[in-house]
Amino acid sequence: MSQVSLVAARIAALQQAGSALALQQATQELASCADASAAPVLVEVLGFNNPGAAVAAVKGLISLGPAAVEALLQLDPVNYGARAWAVRALAGIGDVRGLELLLDALGSDVAASVRRAAAKGLGQLQLDELPPDQQQAVRRQCLGALLAATSDGEWVVRYAVAVGLELLAAGLPAAGPERQLAQQGLLTLQEAAADNAPVVQRRANLALSRLELQ
Amino acid sequence: MADDDASPPQAGEPISEQEALRRLRQSEDSSQQYYGAWWLGRMRSQHPEAVPLLQQALRRRRPRDSGAGVEENAVARNAARSLGKLAPAAQAAIPDLLDTLQDGDDGLREAAARALGQLGASEAIEALCERLASGPAVAGVQQANSHRLMEPCEALLEALGDIGVNEPRVLAVVKPFLGHESPLIRSAAARTLLQLSGEARWGELLVDLLDHPQLQVRHAALMDLGAAGWRPGFKAIAATLAENSLKLIALRGLVEQGSGDPGDEALLAYMDTLL
Repeated sequence: MSQVSLVAARIAALQQAGSALALQQATQELASCADASAAPVLVEVLGFNNPGAAVAAVKGLISLGPAAVEALLQLDPVNYGARAWAVRALAGIGDVRGLELLLDALGSDVAASVRRAAAKGLGQLQLDELPPDQQQAVRRQCLGALLAATSDGEWVVRYAVAVGLELLAAGLPAAGPERQLAQQGLLTLQEAAADNAPVVQRRANLALSRLELQ
Repeated sequence: MADDDASPPQAGEPISEQEALRRLRQSEDSSQQYYGAWWLGRMRSQHPEAVPLLQQALRRRRPRDSGAGVEENAVARNAARSLGKLAPAAQAAIPDLLDTLQDGDDGLREAAARALGQLGASEAIEALCERLASGPAVAGVQQANSHRLMEPCEALLEALGDIGVNEPRVLAVVKPFLGHESPLIRSAAARTLLQLSGEARWGELLVDLLDHPQLQVRHAALMDLGAAGWRPGFKAIAATLAENSLKLIALRGLVEQGSGDPGDEALLAYMDTLL
């Protein structure tokens, strides 16, 4: 079977899946084709309220990389469940076209699991292909959003912010003001306070010591 | 596995600490008291009036009346939960919580047991053991027309683990629950024995439950391994079929409560991949 007809056959199989488990398996099979033409269908699966299938679709979309971004950005913003999965996929892909959605998710999503994915994603956007001044502007936006989220009420989000700040700071010039701001954010997260989980303090401490060695 | 602060008990605008205290202090509207009691615990209020007001709410619990509405003691239940969250500042409430452990309402006994565990109240050990002493066949048997057990066994067992006094009388009371028909109770018993003794066999029992076909049981075993901070369970936790959110909570427990291999850096590196 040619690649084109293989993908078409698996899309057809997915659309005919009659049970939650069948949908999950069909999604896994479609994702394993690693074919960009599957992206819109994988994005559609994110809205089916089937966590097993959504996990498989997110995995497939991340492995497609930038080729999946257009389909992800066309997602219906009203479908909340699908949007949460899309944020995870965009965070994993690291394409700068996902910037707005990630900023918005970290700042205002109600689910901690979505904010945590967005925080890490903002630390790992791939900016190499942008002109230097744009790289700088994007990094500043990411930094601002991550610093604001150092006071998030959920430990797991603050943990992800520590990870995001470390990733972001590693790509900033060591003597520059942005890098210092990132390190200040990490210092805040490292502080021992009754409402700051020790695991967050330890992760921020690890980030700071790695940045020192760099 | 305790999960009682995942979401507010009712929707509403954010309120201030003063407003929460006011709602708990008044007595005309019990739904306002309910919210005020919850708020003080959730926000870890350090106001000097918080603990006395919560104690008062606990004393105002009512005798159980099976004909009355089901939410009769809801305010007292929230007060007990919040006192647990305010540990260690809520030490003064230990006598009230010990009284509540003898209440006829098993939901209240459950909340009191958890709070006593969070407070690390060693003076509660005897009462907790007494409640469990009749074993799975009496304390652990299902109530008529309900899925609840005669005693809130999970909470009583976990409180003994959290208090953490490793004595033969405690172990003797806990061990029979390893044979309970419910895997959730078996998980709680194994967790407690692991916390008390640190013996690997109890950790391995929890690891076996991570393969259980029911998601709810896998969740409980994850939380229990996390609470005990049993680092040898790391690989099994990573491989469990469950949401990343729960694995992250379990791994946080391994980082914060555990020691030895794998070290912090390996655990944190794996947590990073789950975000």
